[in-house]
Amino acid sequence: MGLQTNGLSLEVVGREITGRPVQGKPRRPAGPYLLGLPALLLSCVLLVPIGVTVVAAFRTRGGFGFGNFAVMGDPSALHAVGNSLLWVMVAFGTVVVGFFLALLSYRLPAVTTFLQPALVIPFAVSVLASGATFRLIFDPTPERGTITAVWTRLFGTSPVWLGPGLFWLVLVSAFGWTWLGYVVSIFRAGLDAIPDDVSRTITAEGVKGWRRLRAVEIPLLRPITGVVTLTLVIAAVRVFDLVLIVVPGSMQRSADVLGLNWWRATTTGDDSGRTAALGVVLFAIVAAVGLIGVRGLRRRRWAMPVTVVRPDPSLGRPKPGRVVRRFGWLIGLAVALVWIFPAVVLVATALHSPREAGLRGWWSLSGLGFSSFAAAANVGLFRALLSTLVIAAASTAVLLVIAVPTAYLVAWGGLPTRLGRIAMGVFVVLAVTPVQMYAAPLRDAIDTAGLAGSRVALALVHAAAGLPFAVLLLRSAFASAPPALVSEALQGPARQSAVLATVQRTYRPALVAVAVLEFALVWNDFIVGFLISGPGTTPLSLVLWGEARQFSTSSGPVAAAAVVASVVPVVLMLSFWRTVVRGLTTGSRP
Amino acid sequence: MLSSRRAFLGTAATLLLAGCSSDVLGLRRAVRVAVSWSGEELRAFHKVLGGLGTLSYPVEVVPLGDDISTAFGAPSTRRPDIVMLPQPGLVPRHLADLEPIPDDIAPLGRARLWKELLVHEGTTYGVPFKTAHKSAVWYRPSVFRQVGVQPPRLWSEWLTLNRTLTEAGVTPLALAAGDGWVLTDFLENVLLGIAPSVYLGLATATDPRPSQQPQFGAALRLLGTMWSAPGLLAGGVKESLVQQFPDALVEVFGHRKAAMVLASDFAEPVVRSFAADPNDIGLFTFPPMTAGAPAPVVVGGDVMVLPKPTTEDARDLVRRLSAPTAANPWIAEGGFLVDGRTSGYSPELTRLAEQLTRPGEQLQFDLSDRLGRIGDINGLWRVLTDFLIAVGRRDTAVQDAVDAAMIELRKVEEG
Repeated sequence: MGLQTNGLSLEVVGREITGRPVQGKPRRPAGPYLLGLPALLLSCVLLVPIGVTVVAAFRTRGGFGFGNFAVMGDPSALHAVGNSLLWVMVAFGTVVVGFFLALLSYRLPAVTTFLQPALVIPFAVSVLASGATFRLIFDPTPERGTITAVWTRLFGTSPVWLGPGLFWLVLVSAFGWTWLGYVVSIFRAGLDAIPDDVSRTITAEGVKGWRRLRAVEIPLLRPITGVVTLTLVIAAVRVFDLVLIVVPGSMQRSADVLGLNWWRATTTGDDSGRTAALGVVLFAIVAAVGLIGVRGLRRRRWAMPVTVVRPDPSLGRPKPGRVVRRFGWLIGLAVALVWIFPAVVLVATALHSPREAGLRGWWSLSGLGFSSFAAAANVGLFRALLSTLVIAAASTAVLLVIAVPTAYLVAWGGLPTRLGRIAMGVFVVLAVTPVQMYAAPLRDAIDTAGLAGSRVALALVHAAAGLPFAVLLLRSAFASAPPALVSEALQGPARQSAVLATVQRTYRPALVAVAVLEFALVWNDFIVGFLISGPGTTPLSLVLWGEARQFSTSSGPVAAAAVVASVVPVVLMLSFWRTVVRGLTTGSRP
Repeated sequence: MLSSRRAFLGTAATLLLAGCSSDVLGLRRAVRVAVSWSGEELRAFHKVLGGLGTLSYPVEVVPLGDDISTAFGAPSTRRPDIVMLPQPGLVPRHLADLEPIPDDIAPLGRARLWKELLVHEGTTYGVPFKTAHKSAVWYRPSVFRQVGVQPPRLWSEWLTLNRTLTEAGVTPLALAAGDGWVLTDFLENVLLGIAPSVYLGLATATDPRPSQQPQFGAALRLLGTMWSAPGLLAGGVKESLVQQFPDALVEVFGHRKAAMVLASDFAEPVVRSFAADPNDIGLFTFPPMTAGAPAPVVVGGDVMVLPKPTTEDARDLVRRLSAPTAANPWIAEGGFLVDGRTSGYSPELTRLAEQLTRPGEQLQFDLSDRLGRIGDINGLWRVLTDFLIAVGRRDTAVQDAVDAAMIELRKVEEG
């Protein structure tokens, strides 16, 4: 509401209520505890095997002790630990870069026009597909590799991009390409949620630049930073298939990460106590990083995003001038073009015949056609697609059915504060637990139950693995709209539809986010299926991997398989992205 | 928006229903065949399976690449029903995990050469599916004609040939050092050429110690002398290290950047499909190391083994795959040799098949497979990769690189 008299402009802006309106202890009925039961059962799918692994790690021949941890003295294991820590650093780096990109797009709004879809596509693509794409781009022959070709043209000769040391560049590019879009989108949503009055006040006080960043953006975005860091660290520690597909065999030793080292140790029949010790070390690193990363989550003060009065649009954030807008537009276009480029390479490669794709780069004009798709279909691509669809759909359904009541319980079930904190802590730790911690015992259990190879069992494991993150997310959403609002919506006589709309607005995005993310995650999964079900379940990724063993001569079919495999998650993400982002940031409002 | 979303969900539901056939759900037990093949070879194997007619069980092919040994993984891993083991030398190490081959096809595993690996105490544990001739060098005859040279008949001639080609401005060799087995194949040929008895001794020893065999060092030195020649490798050592086996073939026949490449018979489909000129394809076999000595022939292959416990379906599939005509679709694609058969191939492969069946040849199975841990990706593969890097450096003498490799090898042996 604005008021103008005699050249004096007054402005009234609604301020969101933060914190509980009434202090005091709520009553605690016991009934809601039952809501957590299914989640407890499903979590046991992970908790029990994790316990088994921990026990195995400490059990030595003479009893219990740290004997197995002597494995860490092994130079190759140490090297792998170092590399894993390096990956965690890469994750932090990505968060920082993403933050500044988001800030840029916030200050120059027009940037977003093109940027959003360009940034979302890589996020939807599986790690194997993006790894394959970057290996194509950095191929060491000037005939095939884009970067090598350009570099040779410019400087006469080119470094061997996949060679010793330099393969890190390829790995990090692929990782950054996949994740930066997610980071930028989430930060951007957080920046957009900064209340107008805050930013106007700060502007009026003339706080600018770095000081403004430290005074406003960084503290207000702390909860979001927690969520983003958590996701990225999980991804960084799970790096496994990316190394397998990007790094040529002769250098995989130097690219070894803890997860790969563990896998090699288990497959060469190393002592199970020692491999368990490796898993525990990996787990300890990640859990520590995860708990530190989400400290911000705990400091949240809950807000009720109920807009009482719609603000006058003219009083929103001041629109930048035309020059700035045009400038932003250009930057946005440029970044979007760069960002979409790998996807273009992938599609263009897939549209060449296998022979042409193996001989020349994506820019070649001969041998265009669909024969690479036919070649990919010949190795069982469609059967694998169908099987992946079943697994992804089943695990998403199970996850939603179990996560919703649990999140409700944690958010509003009246758990004692301490119990609630412990539950959240367990969920955070479970969310970052690497697959290696539970893979081996779980695999044994599935075998013993006679469920080996069953897609249903695999879907259950996926649901269990996705549960912690889903609960964390949904709990934030539920917490931001109290059940009083729900009951009012159901019983209240007057503003029923209005309140219901508010409830829906708060809950729905989070539900959609959980469903879409779980589906895409399972669809794109390699490591869980590979470690749990063994090599047999031919999920899509395994087909991709099978083709990728002779990388460049198979690049046509590999690209075709990657394109086909990416269609579903890309369409899904593009159509639901705005809702997903809203879902990921509800409850994270300052 | 709403209608399109509804349509999307509808399609998804339909697909889901269609997909709920029991074998997609994994409820119906498929016979799972673990293979190391990918690309062209994998497609060819799918054709072989397609040619078997209607089977009463679904078949699932599991491509495992270099990690095929994971098929035997930790004791409780869900194992494939059939493993197409590309390292027959591993069979003796996994006897406890394997079922005997049914009696009616067991004689196939008792053929010459295969017997010593596949038969133990009268029981046959594997049947050969595919034989590999690992002593073949593919080259471009047009380059040889242009420079005026002939395929070498001796190792020393080969070194001279390389020099002549380099002087004429042609890069002699493409090397797929990205695949460790290409390097071990090279070494095995040299070792078998200079000291067949040492080779055999190492292959059959229960605790092989290659680092204590001076002849092993001699073979490394010969290899180092060849590899360290300036301008020998297309792209130099750096680029070779990232080249996988088919990349090296493309370098020679597709991009025409080198004249020759050491590659087995199974290189054929890649060579033919990527050759810029389909008539410019030649092949010679690995030359003898000294005049009068027999030429080394390193043999490999894929054997079918049945991990425990097996099923009747798996036995049936092995039986069908070992039928004489089963591999015909693959033979038609090229790059496939059947044990003991010399007809039906391309002229180049026929020559290799004849050398494999001719009596009196110096035939031996791939050594690295039979060295166990010492010969695998963390053993000899790694040592040879480091060796190649060392000889590629101008400032390192070959002898120093050999010494370093032998020390490294000893470390591997001591575990």
